[in-house]
Amino acid sequence: MSDTTMTKPKARRGFGFYVRIYRKILVQDLKSKMSYRADFVISTIGMIMTNLSGFVTFLILFKNFPSINGWDYYHMLFLYGFSLIALTPVQCFFDNNWNLRFQVQSGDFIKYCFRPINVFFYFMSEVFDVKGLGQLAFGIGTLVYAWVHIGIPVTPLVIAKLVLFLLTASLFMIAIMNAAAATCFWIVGSGYVMVIMFRFKDFAKYPSNIFHGVFRILFTFVIPIAFVAYYPSLAILESENVPVLTWCAPALGVLFFYLSYKFWMLGVSKYDFTGS
Amino acid sequence: MKKHTFRKHKLEGTDKMENAIVMKNVCKDFKILNRHEGLKGSIRDLFSRDYKTISAVKDVSLEIARGEIIGYLGPNGAGKSTTIKMMTGVLEPTSGEIMVNGLVPYKERTKNSERIGVVFGQRSQLWWSLPLIESFRLLRDIYMVPKKDYEEMLELYRSLVDIEPILHKPVRQMSLGQRTLSDILAAFLHNPAIVFLDEPTIGLDVSMKAKIRSLIQGLNAEKNTTVILTTHDMGDVDALCKRIVIIDEGKKIYDNDIEHLKSYFGSYRTLRIRHADDTWEERVIDETKEDVMDVIMKKQKEQKIKDIQLQEISTEEVIKKIYENSAASKESAAVSDVAEKKEEATV
Repeated sequence: MSDTTMTKPKARRGFGFYVRIYRKILVQDLKSKMSYRADFVISTIGMIMTNLSGFVTFLILFKNFPSINGWDYYHMLFLYGFSLIALTPVQCFFDNNWNLRFQVQSGDFIKYCFRPINVFFYFMSEVFDVKGLGQLAFGIGTLVYAWVHIGIPVTPLVIAKLVLFLLTASLFMIAIMNAAAATCFWIVGSGYVMVIMFRFKDFAKYPSNIFHGVFRILFTFVIPIAFVAYYPSLAILESENVPVLTWCAPALGVLFFYLSYKFWMLGVSKYDFTGS
Repeated sequence: MKKHTFRKHKLEGTDKMENAIVMKNVCKDFKILNRHEGLKGSIRDLFSRDYKTISAVKDVSLEIARGEIIGYLGPNGAGKSTTIKMMTGVLEPTSGEIMVNGLVPYKERTKNSERIGVVFGQRSQLWWSLPLIESFRLLRDIYMVPKKDYEEMLELYRSLVDIEPILHKPVRQMSLGQRTLSDILAAFLHNPAIVFLDEPTIGLDVSMKAKIRSLIQGLNAEKNTTVILTTHDMGDVDALCKRIVIIDEGKKIYDNDIEHLKSYFGSYRTLRIRHADDTWEERVIDETKEDVMDVIMKKQKEQKIKDIQLQEISTEEVIKKIYENSAASKESAAVSDVAEKKEEATV
């Protein structure tokens, strides 16, 4: 009889619960992805090519300008590697944002509202993009290469700072993409918003002190691209004169992420789910 | 103080036992922006507060007892989905009250969703790339189903349908029928008190339809699960539902059992006449208005009749009549008449 469900103890779903669920989905997902080998190989090659072409552009640029605003080749390379690593989480874990507008428009999105778990989590957990891992490897390689040439000492403190500020940087990019994707709950042309935001990430590879006036304020506080690599990386590159914004970055990162999450969920609650 | 709260709790408890769903005067309005044409128009739309209100559900009251299978019918755009979305907590009603398993669904969406299951025909809610058994395991974890209950449920599934061929197959490789079957099994997995099935047999072949109907029947009988079934397939209704609720233009226009339905709009029969050239002519005849014999005689004067058949009206025909009637009454604004008839029918 149905009595069993009625006396069920009050279920609690904490952080540990979500980590466990995510791990299980991830393992299953990877297993099934491995079984489509051709798809896996081709998308990996595609990712390597994309990164290589970005890298070549970068080299050509530096052949012509030996330094940008006082940043030499290796520092720029450091920034480049840093940004690649920082962009990995958004690529790997939050890639389903790109499908959001299709699911919202077709009405398929409703299925995420029927489970007793967080809608945002459930939606994001559905896609893990393996291609991000190639980018990660590329980023780590570039970063280590630049690191050695600049001669930054390797101490536990520096490593801890690196990890903290990489996480901070990725939070900003995740926040930007969440907010951009969530616009689809209100407007039809949200695809453009996402593409533009995703293009903006290319600016993250340059020191944001090359921007002036309005753009600097725009890329710092409105669309916080400057936080995706520039400010966090200064914590490692500069031994003194670290800007205040760098130290504020972790807290700001959490704040931006939280706001983007709230915006995303607001979209869900305002969405009419019209059509059957 | 303590005693008081205990009693209150008990009262709620008994209410839960009797009714799975209670709706009182529920309305749902949507605000829709009046869009203007052209570039100028769309710029104006950006700042416009020019909304029009569309009421999708108008003053619907409904009580559904535990263990019932209800056929929830209505023409396209009648407000069926909107009602279901309110029951599942996705939408908040504009006015009125809804209680599902003793909870207000939109206020406690998460809690509510632990005790309901939902299947939208053609829209799989399973993990696309995973074999079914892995989806089951994930759902078991998400709903925190005890291991014993989970095993028992799988045993029950095995006794009702042959699940072995689909259990280890990824959902993306399944046929539509297998996928629907899987979705239904997944919806029942955490033993919910209510399962919403939205057109579960759409696009399926006859044998799959039969399989799915007997599965739903079996699960309902075994687990006493309340089933809310929306469908356009009268075969589903005939096979599963004792009671049907019909909604049109957001209003409840019928709520009673199926037997009642057939005598609802007078006594209808289907008359089939076979002409000399072996073609069959079909006519639905209202016996309160014309006599079947008169019709046959009149026909016979016009041409030679080889054969006649007189059939009970099918559910499909009755539903069609009700939809047409509802549309006609709207036009003539003689709504009160139908409302009175409805009163009679519901008593």
